[in-house]
Amino acid sequence: MGVYILRRLVSTIAVMAMVGIFIFLLLRLAPGDPAAVIAGPTATEQMVANIREELGLNEPLPVQFVHWASDVLRGNFGASVFTGVPVLQLLSQRLEPTISLSVLTMILSVTVGVSFGVLAAWRSGGFVDRALATFSAIGYSVPVFVIGYILIYFFAIQTRWLPVQGYTSINQGVAPWFLHLILPTVTLSVPYIAFIARITRGSMLEVLSEDYMRTAAAKGASPFAMLFHHALKNAGVPILTVIGISFAYMIGGVVLTETVFNVPGIGRLVVDAIKNRDYPIIQTVLVLISGLYVLINLLVDLAYTLIDPRIRY
Amino acid sequence: MTISRRDLFKAGLAAGAALSVPSLLRAQTAVAADKTVRMALENLSVFDPVATTAGISQTHALAIYDTLFSADSQSQPHPQMVGNWGVSDDKKTYTFELRDGLGWHDGTPVTAADCVASIRRWAQVGSGGQILMSRASDISKKDDRTFVISLKEPLGALPSILAFEGPFIMREKDAGLPPTEQVTANIGSGPFKFNHDLAKPGASFTYDRNEKYVPRKEPPDGMAGGKTVYVDRVVWDIGVLADPQTSVAALQTGEIDFLYRPPIDLLPLIESDPNLKLEALNRAGVDMTLRMNCLQAPFNSVKARQALLHLVDQEAVLRAAYGNPQYFKPVTSMFGNTAAVTNDENTGWFKPGGDPEKAKQLFKEAGYAGEKIVILQATDWAEQSNASQVVAAKLREIGVNAELAPSDWGGLVSRRSKRDSVDNGGWSIFITDQSEATRANVFTDISLAMNGEKAWYGWPKNDEYEALRAKWLTLETLDERKALAREMQKLWWDYVPEVPLGQNIVPSAYSKTLTGLIPATLPLMWNMQKA
Repeated sequence: MGVYILRRLVSTIAVMAMVGIFIFLLLRLAPGDPAAVIAGPTATEQMVANIREELGLNEPLPVQFVHWASDVLRGNFGASVFTGVPVLQLLSQRLEPTISLSVLTMILSVTVGVSFGVLAAWRSGGFVDRALATFSAIGYSVPVFVIGYILIYFFAIQTRWLPVQGYTSINQGVAPWFLHLILPTVTLSVPYIAFIARITRGSMLEVLSEDYMRTAAAKGASPFAMLFHHALKNAGVPILTVIGISFAYMIGGVVLTETVFNVPGIGRLVVDAIKNRDYPIIQTVLVLISGLYVLINLLVDLAYTLIDPRIRY
Repeated sequence: MTISRRDLFKAGLAAGAALSVPSLLRAQTAVAADKTVRMALENLSVFDPVATTAGISQTHALAIYDTLFSADSQSQPHPQMVGNWGVSDDKKTYTFELRDGLGWHDGTPVTAADCVASIRRWAQVGSGGQILMSRASDISKKDDRTFVISLKEPLGALPSILAFEGPFIMREKDAGLPPTEQVTANIGSGPFKFNHDLAKPGASFTYDRNEKYVPRKEPPDGMAGGKTVYVDRVVWDIGVLADPQTSVAALQTGEIDFLYRPPIDLLPLIESDPNLKLEALNRAGVDMTLRMNCLQAPFNSVKARQALLHLVDQEAVLRAAYGNPQYFKPVTSMFGNTAAVTNDENTGWFKPGGDPEKAKQLFKEAGYAGEKIVILQATDWAEQSNASQVVAAKLREIGVNAELAPSDWGGLVSRRSKRDSVDNGGWSIFITDQSEATRANVFTDISLAMNGEKAWYGWPKNDEYEALRAKWLTLETLDERKALAREMQKLWWDYVPEVPLGQNIVPSAYSKTLTGLIPATLPLMWNMQKA
């Protein structure tokens, strides 16, 4: 196990280096110039040229890359070329909303998605199964922003129960924090619930037809014990894989959801940074997201051993 | 299992209680926001108004800094930080004395040295400032409250330059930075203080009332007059604009109070809400214009530029860009529709629907032989993108080989600085817009220059016109300027450095609980009150 983890960590470093080079080149080779954006719409060419000089954008690409890479290796991720605020400070401001939204979404998605999947498998072919299949099909295919607008219309504009947008830090109270997150969380959860429910149902159906399940039934196990103790644990590996992948892919859905509900998280930060060509922010966020992706995959692989003792590294 | 009516009743009560919890919690957790105004404004990414020409940075600066002079709603200059001032008999020496009660947000008094340093820093990049520096022999402080600008030759437009584009006055130590290095202190002497602790770049910025600010006695008028603040705090909510639908929904539910430029397609929704009001605060709006590369074929030929002037159907472009005719108008004067110097000299080219046959003939006279014409199209700016497509279609209709070059606005801004031919990565046409209010400022609006390499993108060159533009600076009366404006416009439409595509006036939307908003070219935060 130790060797496996070490090998994965070493490969992670190589992957991160490749990602860093790729991101750097991609940004620099794309058209657009932060100096022009800073200078504003009616700036003179001289004004833009002066800003380019100040930002060091006139230096050759290899020189710029070496500067950036050596800074990153020393833990210096630079500062926004616009505001001058250190990138890590900007990230720390944006981390809480994104983590809050992601964690609540995963809790809701896993709880409801797995329950729906188990229920559908248990009542396979019946009304409940068909209803949940319909929900899954719709939930997975309707875009996140459409779900968001519908929820805003009913729960914010019509009833005034929940706020339309914005975010309140948990430091200012759990109630306002939670209220601001209900609509974005539900919105973002719908496709994940649908996805997890479908995978869980399929996996459970396979397990429910196994001999040991019939044995458990013959020995008088309750439906709850059969489903959640015997079946779910054995159906767990594919479900866990899907949850891991969903969490890693969630950043895409988070960007849209943060935009619709004006949640000032990492997703919004990186979208704004891309619009402005704010290189230090984009580079840092993309490198960190790539690292997170790799880390989640590692954790999921390790978790297999807990669910299925037959798996060994 | 059976469910009794009593169980059903209990369940109903429990469900009702559960459903009411969010609104109860919401009421308890609502911010005590009586005197807080939440305004949805575009992203503020550069705080230093000298480092950028972006309007939002000017809006930020208007809140926290003060200016020596300000322009009223009729574009006339008035003293703002300046108290007494005068000019010598030979009109070469201006003496300015600061008014009483001016202090920085850090508690220190504003001095003449601060003003001199601020003028010098701004003058390195501002077009009006560069004019001033080219004519100034000395700018220096006389004492702590008085400074002097000495000129080599008279500059009658000096108060106007200081009012329209003039420097935001910063502390001497901030103004000592080179103009390419941004000031980040955000300490001014204006009516609002920037709240650094609550600043969330890209999400929201907070401005608190400067309780020590002493407003002028005159009533507010445009940017001029007394800047009295009646609210405790103004929060700029930037993130809510990321989604137009959400921004309007937030306005409807009272989560924001003010939306500067609501999406045009949602204006009927706002109109139908009895709690909201629509009002064109920026009454001059913005003018959309088409710039041509005058250095490269075919638009290095005046005939080809004139062809485009005749070809463009402003109504078609505006409809594609802005949709609702209620909010746009054609423009024929180089100064726009609303300036005091707007006139109809040499505007016979304008014809509703354009004149494609005339355009075709002019392209032929220009010797156009099917060369590729590249139109820069910003796909992340819907109005610009739509207008570009209409222009491309009109050109193709008369047999011109027009090609759209799509990119985002950032990419467009980079490419438009290339002077090369289209085969070498250059461009032929790009479309942009700008506040119409700046069109009357012949000396500071760089798009009105025709000085070749020094001119704005497109690089038009006409020495005769430039001589008239220089003359503008010496004029002191409006009548003199009106007469000169006609002469300039005669040359302008003969040369055709750009093609007007029309004026767009989008109303601002705000809650009826807000009153006292001042009509101006930028959103102003003083004088407004919240019921």
